[in-house]
Amino acid sequence: MTRIKRRRRTKISLFASSFRGAHSRLTRTITQQRIRALVSAHRDRDRKKRDFRRLWITRINAVIRGMGVSYSYSRLINNLYKKQLLLNRKILAQIAISNKNCLYMISNEIIK
Amino acid sequence: MAHRRCLQSFVRHATALICLRKSPPLSTLEILTTKPNPVISPPKLESSWFTPWSQFRHFSSSKSDGSENEEEVEESSDGEAENDEAAADLGRDYSPEEKEAEAAAIGYKVAGPLQRSDRVFKDYEPVFAVVQIGSHQFKVSNGDSIFTERLKFCEVNDKLILNKVLWLGSPTQTIIGRPILPDAAVCAVVEEHALDAKVIIFKKKRRKNYRRTKGHRQELTKLRITDIQGIEKLEIKTDGKPLKAAAKKPEKVATTA
Repeated sequence: MTRIKRRRRTKISLFASSFRGAHSRLTRTITQQRIRALVSAHRDRDRKKRDFRRLWITRINAVIRGMGVSYSYSRLINNLYKKQLLLNRKILAQIAISNKNCLYMISNEIIK
Repeated sequence: MAHRRCLQSFVRHATALICLRKSPPLSTLEILTTKPNPVISPPKLESSWFTPWSQFRHFSSSKSDGSENEEEVEESSDGEAENDEAAADLGRDYSPEEKEAEAAAIGYKVAGPLQRSDRVFKDYEPVFAVVQIGSHQFKVSNGDSIFTERLKFCEVNDKLILNKVLWLGSPTQTIIGRPILPDAAVCAVVEEHALDAKVIIFKKKRRKNYRRTKGHRQELTKLRITDIQGIEKLEIKTDGKPLKAAAKKPEKVATTA
């Protein structure tokens, strides 16, 4: 009779095997912490998309403000849409970090 | 009455397949108008089923006219039996090979034939391109591997040409497309069709005795980028003069930047 309980609980404790302290040792807390971990993962998979977009926008903003006095991310995006460029923020942020000069050249082209 | 409806729907489906093969949108409109009036519900379904095909037609007509003509000639020589088998295999809508070309154009890739004895893999070149596949953009250079959403109509070891290139860059030049660069192309090879790692979807409402568990593996395709065309690449093969070459490059960057 105990072997059925043990099988089920070993499956669950395998999931929580890398948790800290009592959360990987005591069976009742293992089941609770597994549930909390799965719920957080589910919620944060959607949050991850939002978080990365925020990060990219911050990075682009930081690099673009180095160009001129009153030049900012919002003006850059406005100019991109006016000139019909389809680049998205992920790529712009990667270029902003790897070679800034490329991004400066593009934004100079777009301002005109 | 049910028997009669079955016959009518079968006739409509047969005529639909014939019209889609011939492909002008006007013929589909004619068939809808010549249907008998008392049967009201099936024509509505058909109109919703036909309009996406007419939309796809408009998107693809400008791009792949030459390839469609060639494929039509090949199909007529092969015969209709193979078309019927292909329809049964691929399931829903992609009966002739024209449809494959259209759907590929929507995903911005054109499949080339399989290759065996071609040396496609070159050394690293300091050139990058920004390519769009579906709704995802990737910054790519020679020898990179990308995971994209599962691309239909290509198998492992197929060569692909990615049309939608938004940006090309090299140490000396950068070229931007508005929105696309028409002459640029990025060649890639399909490495594998794989499933992503399993993700557990877990929903819980506390104190309400509600808990659901579901597993999901997304279908992916791994592409390896082999070539970028449309930009000048500097080839420095001199072994005895590396210092002079290195001195030249920063000078060129300064003049163009």
